Amino acid sequence: MTRRFWVFIEQEEGKVHPVAWELLGVANKLAADIKDEMASTGEEAVVEGILVGHQVEEIAKEAMQYGAHRVYVVDDAAYKHYLNKPYYTALASLVEKYQPEVFLIGATTLGRDLAGSVATKLGTGLTADCTQLEMGEPKGSTKKLLLATRPAFGGNVIATIVCKNHRPQMASVRPRVFPMPEPNPQAEGEIVREQVFTDNGVINAEIIKIIRNEASSAKVEYADILVAGGRALGGPAGFTMLKELADELGGIVAASRPCVDAGWITYDHQVGQTGKTVRPKLYIAAGISGAIQHKVGMQDSDFILAINRDPDAPIFDVATVGIVGDLFEVIPAMIKEIRAQKEVEHANT
Amino acid sequence: MFHALVAIKQVPDTTNIRIDPETGNLIRQGVPTILNPYDAHAVAAAVEWKRKLGGMVTVVSMGPPSTVTAIRECIEMGADKGVLISDRKFSGADTLATSYVLAETIRSIHEKEPLSLILFGKQAIDGDTAQVGPGVSVRLDFPLITYAVIIHDVNLEEGYVTVERKTERWNEVIKAPLPALLTCEKEIAEIPYASLPDLIYSLQYEPETWTAESPVLFDVAHIGLKGSPTMVNKVTNPEKHARGEVIQPKDGIEEAIKLAFEKVNAAGIFSSISGGAK
Amino acid sequence: MQTLDNRNGKKISFDVIVIGAGLAGSTAAAIAARNGLKVALIERGQNPGGKNFFGGAVYTHALKEVYPDFWDRKPPLERPVTETGFWFLSKDGLVRMTAQGGHLNNKPEDAYIALRAKFDAWWAEQAQKEGVLIIPKTTVVDFIREPDGKVIGVKTDRPDGDVYAPVTIVCEGVNNLLTQKLGLIDHDLKPNTVALGVKQLISLPAETINARFGLIDKEHGLAVSVMGDVSMGLTGLGFIYTCQDSISIGLGVNLDKLAEHKVRPYEVLQRYLNHPQIAPLVAGGKLMEYGAHLIPEGGWHNMPKLFSDGVMVAGDAATMVNALHWEGTNMAIIAGKAAAETAVAAHKIKDFSSGTLAQYREKLNKRFVLQDLYQYRNLSRFLDTHPEFMDVYPTFINDALGMFMNGFGKPKKQLYRDILRSLTARRPILKAAGDILSFGKTVMGW
Repeated sequence: MTRRFWVFIEQEEGKVHPVAWELLGVANKLAADIKDEMASTGEEAVVEGILVGHQVEEIAKEAMQYGAHRVYVVDDAAYKHYLNKPYYTALASLVEKYQPEVFLIGATTLGRDLAGSVATKLGTGLTADCTQLEMGEPKGSTKKLLLATRPAFGGNVIATIVCKNHRPQMASVRPRVFPMPEPNPQAEGEIVREQVFTDNGVINAEIIKIIRNEASSAKVEYADILVAGGRALGGPAGFTMLKELADELGGIVAASRPCVDAGWITYDHQVGQTGKTVRPKLYIAAGISGAIQHKVGMQDSDFILAINRDPDAPIFDVATVGIVGDLFEVIPAMIKEIRAQKEVEHANT
Repeated sequence: MFHALVAIKQVPDTTNIRIDPETGNLIRQGVPTILNPYDAHAVAAAVEWKRKLGGMVTVVSMGPPSTVTAIRECIEMGADKGVLISDRKFSGADTLATSYVLAETIRSIHEKEPLSLILFGKQAIDGDTAQVGPGVSVRLDFPLITYAVIIHDVNLEEGYVTVERKTERWNEVIKAPLPALLTCEKEIAEIPYASLPDLIYSLQYEPETWTAESPVLFDVAHIGLKGSPTMVNKVTNPEKHARGEVIQPKDGIEEAIKLAFEKVNAAGIFSSISGGAK
Repeated sequence: MQTLDNRNGKKISFDVIVIGAGLAGSTAAAIAARNGLKVALIERGQNPGGKNFFGGAVYTHALKEVYPDFWDRKPPLERPVTETGFWFLSKDGLVRMTAQGGHLNNKPEDAYIALRAKFDAWWAEQAQKEGVLIIPKTTVVDFIREPDGKVIGVKTDRPDGDVYAPVTIVCEGVNNLLTQKLGLIDHDLKPNTVALGVKQLISLPAETINARFGLIDKEHGLAVSVMGDVSMGLTGLGFIYTCQDSISIGLGVNLDKLAEHKVRPYEVLQRYLNHPQIAPLVAGGKLMEYGAHLIPEGGWHNMPKLFSDGVMVAGDAATMVNALHWEGTNMAIIAGKAAAETAVAAHKIKDFSSGTLAQYREKLNKRFVLQDLYQYRNLSRFLDTHPEFMDVYPTFINDALGMFMNGFGKPKKQLYRDILRSLTARRPILKAAGDILSFGKTVMGW
């Protein structure tokens, strides 16, 4: 009996989304979680990837390096661009064929469009935006199941969800919640080519235009240094000031939700429960109060430097170092200090 | 005729929630309930197109009796009819059970008064799962367009809709046959300031109320707790982090900044803060 | 409930329009509806009461006049006022002069401490029960008038937002812009006629409140006016009200004084809360609410005309406040009632001109409302020109009593001389005597 832990390998235009690799790491951890259980039953746990797209063989090979023992590939021109029904039909059909125990999907825009559709098609349970995953015993059960933990009620409580009787147990996970595993260039595995599912009725919509944004998307999730602003910035001009600091540090600007809602900066910069989860080396939070919905998006940063006028702001509870002060004085002073230090360094080189 | 249906939810205002500092528990008392903000924008979009093309807008909601307040807000915005599906048997529903109830409700309405568009807000701010819209689209086999930001065109004669959706990397313009199901971002339409006649009408509006048996007989195996594959195993409060060091710049900001930078450097993030990340 | 379907472009009209769902407005609306009139109560806030804020206490005589069975309707009230009076603060001292029992032993009590958001919402609900249509989230921006100036309706800020009625009752509150628009008063609020009331609502366990204020149980409550070193020497009056399990504590200072001395309201409040005699009373409490509201104190001399063709003004909009006695809410209620009764009478004879609406003023002339406003007409100005009442006299009272009580072993003749000197050092005795007499005259209205 093989217990399959599946990961959807998300790709667009031949480029993999790194969350897929992060999930392969998680899947392997989950497989390890049930090792003792399987010792007695003689079952085998495998981590497998599902890849849908067009001419994606190279990606399948790369998936092995990140921990997939096997990759099922659905490859056809019809899957070149993501469309909801063709993709969920393919995934659901493969799930029916192979009956995986657990199925993980990255909670990207694509993933969130896809996961709910797949789960409903299969009539199974899906827990969204998980921050923790493990195989464990839920209340009233001796068998290990997927325990999926996620924030609820706007991030004010943490709930652990379990899907007792339906399979696969599905979960979606935001990028950067789990660490990127170390790739093993020697790893090998099997690639299984599956049939395509493009009969009539499956393709029920068409993409007639793709509008690429001129400004390159912020890639806030994978930046090492973030300079984030909150409501206290008072307007878009504040972000110009933060960008100056970010430029000096080689980082990117980010924002809390109220700033995006107010239209001062675009959503791709938003950090928090309904924005991106980030874990940069340095997170500078300027004028951010630190409400829970924002905290859950950045609290795992290596170093958090917070600036706020209010000494009781909750951000100071999670900051490594905090400065109580007016960000409009502190940020320019920081920029000045860094430039001064750079001059000294240049003078010395 | 243009007939748009918007599925709405009345939610606790999670942006205004307080935690009891002693127990760490949610203070659920006195949390105001509101119409889910994304749903409000979806209703505004539906009403905008009704005003362009003629026709009607129906809103439906699965919820407790107090949901009537949210429905009235939609009527105030210009929706024509509200349906409240309310029954104790629905309680405990997860997203699968919820999508079942909504799909059957929408199917029933569609049979009598064919729908052109079905709109959802992109997610509810209490659950934040964004799963119910896609679930309903699968059950009804209507094309799904999530993260919709602009409805470019609704062509009733030829039977298609053109919608622009936003992804992390680009915007896509999708063309799909009617009826299509959209989940909407706030940008899709601005909330109108209702006319006085609309407001007065909404103040006294009573929605149609449906139960688990009538006018649609829902399959008990698929509703409420019974119909929910997922259940909550445990609820805890978020961890409290140990407070870091807080500098009050008594000796001036420059000193405070130097101190802070020293600590950043000591943490090994940069070779020096001016040298860029390692 | 009245049913209306005006969505198809019909004119929206009522028998009476009431502007503002505060205490005056909800009262006027309720009484008019009770007498069979179709009433629209237009409120700019999300809910009635959302924009109101006070110390403070409501007076049951007024509640009873509108709803004789008001107790059975379960009003949301905090503690009854079973102890009330004055506290005099010196720099670090406190003299309390309060009364309990005796005239205050009534069931129900004459005054109950209340929180406005809850109370006003309940008061408006009672109006709804009479059949009033409350239209929230809508602001009246102007009037619809006939060429001769007669008011026949209002314009709101909503599209298709005109509402018609032969009579309108304006209960818009202290910021009486609409009253000014009508020309019933020829100037905007003058800073020396308006006080800014600021307060904090501090939560404390009921037992702690009982212990600190000497109250037997939750059925006993304190309402005091605090004079003296409350407001950094500026003309002002402080207050303390004990709610069920919170304390409402704050003060009111005239706007012009705040501006003149460049003082921020929060600073004044903080100083009051940090007073050595006050701080221990609120120590360890949790701040639940902090807010401010304007209080019209211009009184008689700054009152607008109370009526014109097709329109009447009641409550704060008509400066119906007697600050010394903390009366404003009951004046608003009585005035709202009087305006409604006048509207009913006008409808009976279908005449809404000033001639008919003059009954409104006559009704108030016969009651404490206008009588007291007239009597106290000079008090505001008096306190302005006699700052001694804010510092010298309260301090003297503290000194005098303090020294008297502490004169152990001191020759009493010397003690009295010292006490007298503590006054005359600050104010010559003849002037002090004159002040007291003038105060008496002003309060009597002579």
